[in-house]
Amino acid sequence: MTVDGLRRSPLGDLPETLGHGVRLREIPFLTQLNLRLAPGGGAAARVAEVLGAALPTEPNTVTDSGDLRLLWLGPDEWLIVGPDGAAPDTEGRIRTALPGEHACLVDVSANRTTLELSGPGARTVLEKGCALDLHPRAFTPGRCAQTLVSKVNVVLDQLDAEPRYRLLVRGSFARYLADWLLDAMSDTALIG
Amino acid sequence: MSHELPEHPDWLWRTPDPKRAYDVVIVGAGGHGLATAYYLARDHGITDVAVLERGWLAGGNMARNTTIIRSNYLCDASAAIYEHALKLWETLPEELEYDFLFSQRGVLNLAHTLQDVREGIRRVHANRLGGIDAQWLDPDEVRAFCPIVNTSPEVRYPVLGATLQPRAGIAKHDHVAWALARKADAYGIDLIQGCEVTGFVRDGERVVGVETTRGRIGAGRVALAAAGHTSTLADLLGLRLPLQSHPLQALVSELLEPVHPTVVMSNHVHVYVSQAHKGELVMGAGIDSYNGYGQRGSFHQIEHQMAAALELFPIFARAHVLRTWGGIVDVTPDASPIIGSTPIENLYLNCGWGTGGFKATPASGRVYADTIATGTPHPLAAPFALERFTTGALIDEHGAAAVAH
Amino acid sequence: MLLIACPWCGERDEVEFHYGGQAHVAYPSDPEALSDAEWAQYLFVRDNPKGPFAERWSHAAGCRRWFNVVRHTVTHEILAVHPAGRPKPVIA
Repeated sequence: MTVDGLRRSPLGDLPETLGHGVRLREIPFLTQLNLRLAPGGGAAARVAEVLGAALPTEPNTVTDSGDLRLLWLGPDEWLIVGPDGAAPDTEGRIRTALPGEHACLVDVSANRTTLELSGPGARTVLEKGCALDLHPRAFTPGRCAQTLVSKVNVVLDQLDAEPRYRLLVRGSFARYLADWLLDAMSDTALIG
Repeated sequence: MSHELPEHPDWLWRTPDPKRAYDVVIVGAGGHGLATAYYLARDHGITDVAVLERGWLAGGNMARNTTIIRSNYLCDASAAIYEHALKLWETLPEELEYDFLFSQRGVLNLAHTLQDVREGIRRVHANRLGGIDAQWLDPDEVRAFCPIVNTSPEVRYPVLGATLQPRAGIAKHDHVAWALARKADAYGIDLIQGCEVTGFVRDGERVVGVETTRGRIGAGRVALAAAGHTSTLADLLGLRLPLQSHPLQALVSELLEPVHPTVVMSNHVHVYVSQAHKGELVMGAGIDSYNGYGQRGSFHQIEHQMAAALELFPIFARAHVLRTWGGIVDVTPDASPIIGSTPIENLYLNCGWGTGGFKATPASGRVYADTIATGTPHPLAAPFALERFTTGALIDEHGAAAVAH
Repeated sequence: MLLIACPWCGERDEVEFHYGGQAHVAYPSDPEALSDAEWAQYLFVRDNPKGPFAERWSHAAGCRRWFNVVRHTVTHEILAVHPAGRPKPVIA
């Protein structure tokens, strides 16, 4: 028996929704690995080697490696986000870089689900409930942030300039956040 | 319950210049300072008293609170002093010959979780054992008592019940201060406004006077009643106190027809609402988490408070916020006040009332006056001595204090 | 409304932060040697100045790191931000 038949995403019944210039969908079951280690040391270098990309050291930035995204969460903490099913292989590869190191790697894939908000109106929708400056002069593809959107903790990751955002949100907050985003999207005056 | 505001006499108190010295100097002419002066005269015949106020009379927290009066606290020591206050409130308008619109319209403390229900029922039992009126209401009884509360089970935090103290209520805060001030003045006590204490005069381990913006004033005893500014004064004497000052906010709506028959408080969604005699809704918000002396608070506290108020009272959806403001409250580690003597001879302390000082005004003044006059703690004040932080006999009232700390 | 500059994430709204009270309060090096009064001072008593105040904040909804801020308690002006573990900056 596979887990596919048993597992449910918090927003399993959320249809992909189009608004005016904006689209919302859930991307369930993304791989999420939380990695903590000292930056700039041997472990960080070996992790970069096995992943094929350096762990970002500039706060709130992301590096890419194939289908993995390496998000800065703190000066010694990263979230490695990958496609559904990538956890065992990715975790195994990173572990080969950690023997003897003071490091911590935890599979937190079940902690959050992911909402993808995209389209020319996506920034306007997000700005209704997010205090960050999301204008391209301040927030661009390759940037991420942990912040609040309508009082909900999210990890915000901008994937491209469309713009396309991922909002990683804890399961129990996902329905509220999705409802809030749908409500924010319903404003027809968003795009001129 | 009165509906008419009383006519003001031509004058309520004199505006005297400070004398060179007084038997007792009270620092702070808010409710507690004025009540202390009144009871020093009434109970102990001590009238050689000055009340010094850096601003104007009753212009601090006395002008900024939400005027709720109740005594349904959990711990025996707190219930006793607040119940003493409530009994004094019941006779004070006549005694002071001033109708300050004390309205015993009841206070509901809502329960929204199983833990709230348990805490509420426990408190009702504790209050009854202490001779304090207290009832437990189920949601239907809540709706009957206050029809505008949303008791639908569909809301995020449904009302599972409430405690009711029928004798609790509200009063007109300004009139309370003016009533006390007028009587204190009539006893010959000097109420001196625009007189800020800038230092203390010491003789060894004793305090013998204060330095003020209007010169040095000698004092047999100095009694602090300065709420959020107490630590700043105590710092001048090198006395460190377990107090932190925070902004606490409140707000009013425009005047509305009478719609709200009682006082509703909710710890869980954090709001407390009554309707004042003129018709404005009076609501309290939470304290800012960080220390502050700015008499203004954070906007998000107001936002949070409004969201909570609308969930409980959908009928208020079209009301407007007319005004918001902040007062500086001094909070202790156990959310209970500090009353009594200090390590410095002749210096007395009455502070730490945090978010709930108004309701205590007469009892606070009375037991403080007694403690100052006799040099020994009044029995109702004794548990609130500064020493409790050393002995560990704390009076934890974070629950019944009802404001989010 | 405060705009607090997290040393890592830059300026963020105050709702993202958790307040930690006075900074630079060291745990007593030999707690058992303290008198009850001294222990009470450590446990319950903190400075409460009207003016600049060095205090701890955590970027709770962000990078979750603790750091220190010197803030004026009347004007709320933030006079300095310094990482945890560093000495308190001198404010003129």
